Amino acid sequence: MSWVSRITATAGRGAVRLVPADRRDWAEAVWAEAHEAPAGWPRLAWRAGGLGLIVKEGQMARTIGSWLLFALTAGAAAWGAWPGSPVSHGAAIQGGIIITLALLAGLPLLARLWLGPPESRAARWLRAGFSAAILALLPIQAAIGLFVGTVPRSGINRHTFDIAIGSGIPGSSSGGPDWGGEIAILIFTACYLAAVLALTARRTPVAPATLVIAAGAGLVLGIVMYAVAPAGLNFRYPYRPGLHGSAAETFVILAWILVFSAPAIAGAIAGRRCHVPDDAVEATAARAWQGFGAGAVSGGVGAVVVTVLGSGTTALLVKSAWVRDWFYHGQHVTASAVYGRELYASQNVQGYLLLAVGFPIIGLIMGVLGAGVTSPAPGLPPGGGRQADAGELTPVC
Amino acid sequence: MGSRSEFSPQTLAVLMALGGQPSEWQHGYALARETGLKSGTLYPILIRLADRGLVEACWQDEPVPGRPRRHLYRLTADGLASATTALAEAELAAAERTASMARPGADLRRRRGVAAPAVP
Repeated sequence: MSWVSRITATAGRGAVRLVPADRRDWAEAVWAEAHEAPAGWPRLAWRAGGLGLIVKEGQMARTIGSWLLFALTAGAAAWGAWPGSPVSHGAAIQGGIIITLALLAGLPLLARLWLGPPESRAARWLRAGFSAAILALLPIQAAIGLFVGTVPRSGINRHTFDIAIGSGIPGSSSGGPDWGGEIAILIFTACYLAAVLALTARRTPVAPATLVIAAGAGLVLGIVMYAVAPAGLNFRYPYRPGLHGSAAETFVILAWILVFSAPAIAGAIAGRRCHVPDDAVEATAARAWQGFGAGAVSGGVGAVVVTVLGSGTTALLVKSAWVRDWFYHGQHVTASAVYGRELYASQNVQGYLLLAVGFPIIGLIMGVLGAGVTSPAPGLPPGGGRQADAGELTPVC
Repeated sequence: MGSRSEFSPQTLAVLMALGGQPSEWQHGYALARETGLKSGTLYPILIRLADRGLVEACWQDEPVPGRPRRHLYRLTADGLASATTALAEAELAAAERTASMARPGADLRRRRGVAAPAVP
């Protein structure tokens, strides 16, 4: 019993440091009082209660749950994306997967040190959503890469491959490790993740309400864009199997309008909802921050939604017969034509990168403009966001 | 019918223990023994009461040789007022329950909306 008691005492003293500073006295108090309890089971039970308090006050249950969920999802994504032996450029993909997971695990910790943790539920959900999207893209990217890189053995498919990609050894994977492409995607992922972490951190004056509004606008933008470009993005030869004739034109026009108007509207609403300080300069800065956040987040969410949905559809097209049947329903398409379309769709997936760069930039410009042309709603009580940190240029949103 | 107390029975027990000697500082283990609560229940209650300004806490000034300093608690003025009110309400509610149980079928009639028979 004495060794169990010693272990719990040591574990408890160490665990007390995990409790936030304003609650640490309480956890230490339980440990101090343990000396009053009779030795043996009563003292052990007292300390067990103290550990429960530490878990609760340190919000460790949520933290442990989040990390477990991340570990499970990341493991599943890595397992799905891990290249098999026939892939000659497997080392680059493996490196990419490992570094992506390290970024997803490490950058939030760095962001917490520099900018503080996410304080609102909206901020946490947004971070989780972006992380989930990045994880989902790992197996999607791997499936598409494998399809594009595998040279058909013979026949018309081989001919199509030669035209689209170039010659290669039949039945093998084409090309060597694409380190350049992998590094570019990693830098891009790191920038995206850093931007999301910064916009959702405590010390950034973007209100939770702004994040919710922007995410909603981005979701609409992403879904409309997906309807316009469901299997890769190609401006010269757009392929929209779900839309025909005037419906397709209407959606294209709607998508163009939304690219500019969704972040502008999100910025305007966020700027109007924000209860700004009396000082004119601070008020302008506060509204600009909401517009900036709303625009960047709506553009980013839109780009990520269309990228995940469109790339996912393309990956399923090349992997699943039932998705092909559903996609080409009612069309008389030969097997070789299907292969050709899938090959071009797989290449056109890179077009989503354009959206991933362009949407947030357009978004933040339009968001700031949208917030700039609105005036705050009169008499709005604080509640659209969180209280400002002392000494920072922060709206009371 | 008595109003429902804003405190749980466990919290009322803690308030009652602290209210017994409102001017005295008490420590956690003594409170646990008096209320019969375990540390995992007692301390969250004390934390909530302290957050609401009903309990004040401090560390013992003079450490006793051979054991760590203790954390001490007592009711604030607001806490004493709240405790007095809550305990009075709890007593009233308990008395009403006892009276209601003493009248067979009264509770059932009240739930069905049937008036009680006139007492001759």
